[in-house]
Amino acid sequence: MHLTPSDLSGLVKRVGQGDREAFARLYDATSAKIYGVALAVLRRPALAEDVLQDTYVRVWNNARSFDPNRASPITWMATIARNRAIDEARKRPVLSLEAMPAGFDIKDPQPLPSDLLVAACDQQRLAACMEALGPDRQRLVALAYLEGRSREELGKQFGHPEGTIKTWLHRALKQLKVCLSS
Amino acid sequence: MTDPDDTIDTLAGEYVLGTLDAAERADVAARRLHDTTLDAAIGEWEIRLAPLGLITAAVSPPAGVFQRIEQRLSDPVQAREPNGTQEATMVIVWRRRADRWRRIGITATALAASLVAWTVWREATLNAFPDRYVGVFAQDDVLPRFYLTIDLKTRELTIRPVGAKQQPGKTYQLWIASEKLGGAPQSLGLMEDSLASTTKVLSQYDPALLHSATFGVSLEPEGGSPTGRPSPGALHTKLLPIAH
Repeated sequence: MHLTPSDLSGLVKRVGQGDREAFARLYDATSAKIYGVALAVLRRPALAEDVLQDTYVRVWNNARSFDPNRASPITWMATIARNRAIDEARKRPVLSLEAMPAGFDIKDPQPLPSDLLVAACDQQRLAACMEALGPDRQRLVALAYLEGRSREELGKQFGHPEGTIKTWLHRALKQLKVCLSS
Repeated sequence: MTDPDDTIDTLAGEYVLGTLDAAERADVAARRLHDTTLDAAIGEWEIRLAPLGLITAAVSPPAGVFQRIEQRLSDPVQAREPNGTQEATMVIVWRRRADRWRRIGITATALAASLVAWTVWREATLNAFPDRYVGVFAQDDVLPRFYLTIDLKTRELTIRPVGAKQQPGKTYQLWIASEKLGGAPQSLGLMEDSLASTTKVLSQYDPALLHSATFGVSLEPEGGSPTGRPSPGALHTKLLPIAH
């Protein structure tokens, strides 16, 4: 079943009115994405599951104030999840690089209509601007974002002190900002 | 001397990137509730980095989670949310086919998974538009001074200054050099406003030449180089080969 962005917005609106069935359908349509986001950061299924729960509790509590003109529902939810996941990750000691736990079903997700995805030109622009950072810096930025890694973790991974990582990150951010606004 | 807005912007950027430590994150989360500049900066960074969110894979959650969510919501104590950060806007969705993971021989480590996903997205995105290139004029390998983007299909070149200072009585001039042109730099004209973007259509050059050319920027007296050659100290760049 394909859900359009307006389908999802409609579900969120109904969730805001206390509609449990809409909430269940919203969960069915979006939970794999949300779980994937949490897992990418936490890499621990139990913790990711907690974040998954927290996210939908928050969605239930805040659905009434969701504004579909500001963001699409899944982006709103995924941002909640990612922030929660990073908060949780920061509470814990640095996770060593471990294998993705066995038994994960990387689901071939429900295809989403293209207007839910980021516009192709925005993707292209970011890809080009990331290229301009050079191979090391773009990996730094990509890993930081995709896995919510702290400067400390990035420092260990890239073999540099945190201060150096911070400087690199700030330079990269400045470059990206300029490049993206051109 | 640091520009105070600059610090807010890099703080917001690091927050969205996820690199701040626990104390810094808590500080930003609290501050943005009353600091509209910070809050706006965070929103802008989320939009800028949104395409990266496309890369995250969906994974089926374990069964029974929804029941637990419902149970929590029916218990007024548990329905309260944990102390977390405020959500803002933006994208984290990507769809990915499970067989693509297998095809590229994904290994078991989570680290490799993210980098592989990143590589796949990057190559797919860049290859979608093989005619677009970027060039960076850097000074001392610190902040670049100019960004150049060019579309080989339309031969439209845009050059954008970054932190380039307006010099009274002087102007920036753009050059192209190529063996196919005999090696000596040819002027592509002046940057009319050194603080804004300049766009030129280089229809007199064929795309193959543009692809392999060296581009230069020099600081000249108003009206351009008096010698017809770039003054010393010119910055140059080649186009970044972002098409494969």
